[in-house]
Amino acid sequence: MNKLVEKRTVDMQIIGDWVEPGSRVLDLGCGRGVLLDYLQQTKQVRGLGVDLDFQKILGCVRRGVTAYQGDMEAFMRAFPDRFFDRVICSRTVQELTDPAAVILEALRVGRAVTVGFVNHGYWKNRADAFFRGRKPRNPVYTTEWFESRPANPVSIADFEHFCVAREITITRRALLRGDWKTPCPFRPNLFAGYALYDLTK
Amino acid sequence: MNAAEEDLSLVPPEPGEVGLVEPHDFVHAQPFTFESGQVLPGFTLRYETYGRLNAARDNTVVICHALSGDHHCAGIHALTDAKPGWWNNFIGPGKAIDTNHFSVLCANVLGGCQGSSGPSSIDPRTGRPFGLAFPFVTIRDMVRAQKLLCDHLGLSSLYAVVGGSMGGMQVLQWGIEYPSFVRRLIPLATTARESAQAIAFNEVGRQAIMQDLDWNRGDYPKGGGPRVGLAVARMMAHITYLSDESMDKKFGRRRTGAADNPAYTFDVQFEVESYLRHQGESFINRFDANSYLYISRALDHFDLPAAHGSLEQAFANVEAETLSVAFTSDWLFPPEQNREIVLALLRAGKRASYAELAMNLGHDSFLLESGELYTLVRSFLGSPRTP
Repeated sequence: MNKLVEKRTVDMQIIGDWVEPGSRVLDLGCGRGVLLDYLQQTKQVRGLGVDLDFQKILGCVRRGVTAYQGDMEAFMRAFPDRFFDRVICSRTVQELTDPAAVILEALRVGRAVTVGFVNHGYWKNRADAFFRGRKPRNPVYTTEWFESRPANPVSIADFEHFCVAREITITRRALLRGDWKTPCPFRPNLFAGYALYDLTK
Repeated sequence: MNAAEEDLSLVPPEPGEVGLVEPHDFVHAQPFTFESGQVLPGFTLRYETYGRLNAARDNTVVICHALSGDHHCAGIHALTDAKPGWWNNFIGPGKAIDTNHFSVLCANVLGGCQGSSGPSSIDPRTGRPFGLAFPFVTIRDMVRAQKLLCDHLGLSSLYAVVGGSMGGMQVLQWGIEYPSFVRRLIPLATTARESAQAIAFNEVGRQAIMQDLDWNRGDYPKGGGPRVGLAVARMMAHITYLSDESMDKKFGRRRTGAADNPAYTFDVQFEVESYLRHQGESFINRFDANSYLYISRALDHFDLPAAHGSLEQAFANVEAETLSVAFTSDWLFPPEQNREIVLALLRAGKRASYAELAMNLGHDSFLLESGELYTLVRSFLGSPRTP
């Protein structure tokens, strides 16, 4: 198993631990449905993905994951409050045009919202920017700036500040070291490579 | 949304052809009450089947055709046929709807004119065509008649029902009317509620037919009738199946005929005119004007939210999983109307997926050969239990 696949799996396992068996789960920016497929198999969730790209929807359908091609905000507006047990926004939040609007809308349609992102405050990412003066590149973000979507370099401190400012309750968090495995209790904004949050409002 | 996700490319087997096929007639010799309350003493549906029915009799894929379509959706009737069935690129051994796995069934709709009972059929009471004495037909009537055919064939359930445009309406109706009988629904380029714009176009077509003196209140001999009106109706409708972009690409402002074609005349000058006239001409030789009135009216009356209180309530009992596909350039049944179907299914707690294809041919895109659409449908259908 290569490093990337291993990192992805760790992320999925934690989300899998947080997800209630048999619950209704919406994955925003679901890609080809890998996470939902995993949750369907391990937690028997009723999964649904949203993505903009036809090929991603095709990947979901191939896996037996139901998916909707379209804009995630417009999609969520079509649902009543608390329709989903959980809304997942894993490694998507940094690419959103209006992250606050998406997260708040997710908190309306979902009883819980899970947000996961790569911590740009992690010392290696800081060092990257400081010494190389270049966009961070790592096993997860492999692309050059000119090959990737615009992305906000969000950090743990940034995200927690956002939660306070918008009165969002953090019910659970998993802050992991650079190996994305070991818990990172000490100065996570500097030493955690990956952060996962469970939110409610 | 991450960069490095594996690309599972499914290599489709080398596709073959359905080959020679022949139509069959199902005669339902008992009274059939239409949604309107009108009754026919019996009816006939002309249909075709391809592929083999399995022992459990549950591997049938029903194909529902659109307004001007028919039961001949794949294969050829004779080796001299100029064209195969209308969805031949979609259906066949190794194709998206794989006749190596599935038994395909397609019937001409009730009210049609390609062999099924419709206004051009002979009324046994008078010995003349029914004309306007034929009962009003709805999408639900069409589906109920097809269910009787399925029962006659002894099918235990349907693997899937697939159709575009009016065919898509029948697909939705199938899922609502016979929830435990249908396992998968694939409505393409369709709507749950005929829009005012679509009704408006239908009305112009009907007026062209009914204002033609040869229509004679629907009373005309077989082969006669409002040929001009029907051709105009078809020409107009055909425009709604295309798109600005595709027409510009296909015809542009190209002129027809000789270069000495005088500029100031109302004869055919542009290729698009000649194309539409050809469409009209060929249509009158294969379609009945009264059938056009009846079927277009059935489209107008299709309104699932009104029939059930809301679209969510309409879908409340659906058991099948749905895959809906829309086409970006379709302005007759645009993506929003297809999305609304899926959103309502999801709100009703059903399994449903929605995909959108950027194809520029307008409404008729669903009939176009498209690797992406075919791969998607093939993936959704998956592999049935061994026959």
